[in-house]
Amino acid sequence: MNSKHFACAIVAILIVLLVQFTLWFQNSRSKMQREAAVAQQAELAAAQQLTRERTQLADLRRQSVDLIEFLRTWQPYFESIDSPQSAEVNYTMRVKEANLVNLAQRFEQTPVKGNASVPTAMRAYLTFEDDYSRLLNWLGDLEAKMPTMRISSIRVSKGTRADDLRMELTLEHPMLRK
Amino acid sequence: MQLSARQIDDFKTERKDITPPLPVILRLVPLLLYCSIGVAVILGSIFFLQLQLAVQKRENHRAQTGTLSTQTQEARNQRTALEAQIKKATDIEAWVASSRPLQPLIVEIARSMAPHSSIIDLRLDRDGDAPAQLKFSIKLGTDSTKQLDTTLEKIARLDYRTFSPQQSLGRGELDYRATLVSRLQRSSNAPAAGERKEGTP
Repeated sequence: MNSKHFACAIVAILIVLLVQFTLWFQNSRSKMQREAAVAQQAELAAAQQLTRERTQLADLRRQSVDLIEFLRTWQPYFESIDSPQSAEVNYTMRVKEANLVNLAQRFEQTPVKGNASVPTAMRAYLTFEDDYSRLLNWLGDLEAKMPTMRISSIRVSKGTRADDLRMELTLEHPMLRK
Repeated sequence: MQLSARQIDDFKTERKDITPPLPVILRLVPLLLYCSIGVAVILGSIFFLQLQLAVQKRENHRAQTGTLSTQTQEARNQRTALEAQIKKATDIEAWVASSRPLQPLIVEIARSMAPHSSIIDLRLDRDGDAPAQLKFSIKLGTDSTKQLDTTLEKIARLDYRTFSPQQSLGRGELDYRATLVSRLQRSSNAPAAGERKEGTP
């Protein structure tokens, strides 16, 4: 092998290197194009997901219009008395204002079954003996002024006097979860 | 065609050959080098441009994906908040459904009494598991079931349905027990003041 062959070999190596460099460049381009295609797919998937999510949201909004309106109307009534103490004071005041013959009253906080938003209620046990009209009018006023209150038990029987009524009441006032 | 030695051996200095010339086939190697350089430059330029375009495209797609993901997350958060509101509304609705005023019912029962009948004991208890249902029991001072029929008619007029009725009559007293379920739903309107009745007999 003489110097000409040697020079020829060097030139051949240069050619191989050039080819290799071009191939490497081509591979880099192809890899980047694949990455761009993957990114495009990801964008497409994200767009579809957004469309799906927005459709679900719109459907849910449409389906829940009445419920949300209901909540908007009733929530302030539930929030007006938001602690057991204020509920107790409220009931005591209303009994005192009516000047009814109150034989017994007791308050306790009780859990509410199957209602996550109203986990507890303030329960009032009240016993009255007073005039029939006064008692029932007071009860009607109480139910009108405290619309979220519910009577969980009521027992009405004859009182000691002719027009008197004995009324044993158990009232529940909801305590909304904060 | 024979390749000229002067055209091919560019790097050769002007001196006398001391080695034998290359075979004709090997004289193509330098020509191949020139061609390779040309092709490499052309292809390299094309690949470079395509690479730049692909990088730009990838970055655009990634940025767009990021924006879409943020919007999706916002929509998801809104949906979660709305679901929480719906749950709350459903719970409140359930409570409101079980808090229909009972005073009108009691007043109506009292008003239904005929002159010779009386209520000895009246009791309404809300079912713990189904608060919309009321366990109704009444003890009437009467000799016939006519009074009870009148009372039940008045109850039905207030849109209460009676279930599982039981009654017993004896010694001038009539015992009646049933489950009452209201057919009325309280609306989304503010609580009505007209739901109460005056308690005069």
